[in-house]
Amino acid sequence: MTARLFVQVFSIEARKLMSYRGDFWITAVVSFVAQLGVAWFLWDAIYTTSAETEIGGYGFDAMVLYYVLVILVGRLVRAQSLETDIAQDIYDGALSRYLVFPTDYVGFKYAQHLGNIVPSVVQLVLFTGLYALILPLPADVAITPLSIAMACVSVAVANLLFYSLTVPFQLVAFWADNVWSLGVMLRFVTGFLGGMMVPLSLFPEWSQRALEVLPFQYLFYFPVVTALGKVTPQEWMIGVGISLLWWVVVVGLSKLVWRRGMLAYTGVGI
Amino acid sequence: MLRYLRLYVFFVRFAFSRAMEFRLDFFFRVLMDICFYATQIAFFDIIFRTTGLLAGWDFDQVLVFLGGFFVVDALHMTVFANNMWWFPIFVNKGDLDYYLVRPVSSLFFLSLRDFAANSFLNLLIALGVLAWALLRYTGEVTIERVLLYLLLIVNGTLLFYILHLCFLIPVFWMHSARGLGEIFFALRRYAERPEKIFTGIVRLTLVTVLPFSLIASVPAEAFFGGIGWTGLLHLTGVTVGAFLVLRLLWARGLRSYSSASS
Repeated sequence: MTARLFVQVFSIEARKLMSYRGDFWITAVVSFVAQLGVAWFLWDAIYTTSAETEIGGYGFDAMVLYYVLVILVGRLVRAQSLETDIAQDIYDGALSRYLVFPTDYVGFKYAQHLGNIVPSVVQLVLFTGLYALILPLPADVAITPLSIAMACVSVAVANLLFYSLTVPFQLVAFWADNVWSLGVMLRFVTGFLGGMMVPLSLFPEWSQRALEVLPFQYLFYFPVVTALGKVTPQEWMIGVGISLLWWVVVVGLSKLVWRRGMLAYTGVGI
Repeated sequence: MLRYLRLYVFFVRFAFSRAMEFRLDFFFRVLMDICFYATQIAFFDIIFRTTGLLAGWDFDQVLVFLGGFFVVDALHMTVFANNMWWFPIFVNKGDLDYYLVRPVSSLFFLSLRDFAANSFLNLLIALGVLAWALLRYTGEVTIERVLLYLLLIVNGTLLFYILHLCFLIPVFWMHSARGLGEIFFALRRYAERPEKIFTGIVRLTLVTVLPFSLIASVPAEAFFGGIGWTGLLHLTGVTVGAFLVLRLLWARGLRSYSSASS
């Protein structure tokens, strides 16, 4: 796939998503505030009841900041509106159209997926900017230009990894009549094991060790703790390396499923 | 009334015969909900490693609450969710016409036509989780309390449906893909947490204007013996009020509906 085509597809998708601006921003702001509100009240109750000033390496303010970042990073990584796009193409028979295009189908879809995260980038800048204006930076985090730069790379890798993880699940559509449930299941599992619901430093020690070699924590938790300055450059390089290794494994799996699926594909839609 | 009941039996029979054609989807749905239940229980297990009580509840009480919420969610998924999915699509494509010309209530038809037989097994699993939580619970468990809890869970399901539809109805005016549906899914997180963790105006809102806490949390409190007759009256009043708001919104929405050009 050429870079020019990639940018064009990316741009069209970003503009398409922003076409209902009022609706988009109302949903974005209310969803963010609602999500953060639940986390805020939950942890306020926990810190009050337990009388601890630090839980899992986080004081209350740092915990709130963790959730601010993990919610926004989650949006960047997931770009949710295209989660069942490939499966839909298979059901509709629309995949046939792409097969005759002189370009790689999955690459084309990834360009669309990336276009979907543009509004999330704007939200990240806006909401973290607002946070910085309203609340002081907690003393137990060390956000530096280096930690932000490392976090940006981690988010980019996480986005690629998450998208690649969804592909084999969507390709099950070659055989199954509805794979929506698989996508939702993936969201539940990655959300929990990826640190969207609770920081992974609160997990039991044995599970933290296991999660270090699995792909999940590199989707949300790792970029956030990197931004918060809790990861050294050496640990970061190892983390990015593991993510890329998983990406290679998942892409290999996708290619295998794709080849098998093409043998089953009839092109008429369901 | 009997006519509506007979019609609903037809919906259910048709749904089961259709579900048998798509067995793999049936299996995926079961897996999906098991993942949901497991992650929610594991989440609270981790939370209770940091604190002995959460807003006055211990882990066993939270499990009873979660079991109740799972039943609400499974009932909603089985009875209403598919219909909620299709509703904005019907409005935007103008396919609502088909439902408006039927000689039955359009709200009834649109809310209940698509029974998700493939989610029915999840309802049994959710009931199993609730039974397990009740067996673990060391406080007072009587038949009366269990029956009251089940009744309030059914009421919670009704509220869940009403709130969901109220957030979708703006599609009549907004013409966006899903109305305010995404906001509903963001707000439903408040139903997944115990009401007593919330304070001030937010807590008041959650038991009145946006009664997400009345879906499962307050019913669990009633089971633990904490809300009394006034609480039950409040719960009933809010449910009736929410239903009237839904009817009003529905009537206004239909007035704005302009068929295929919507």
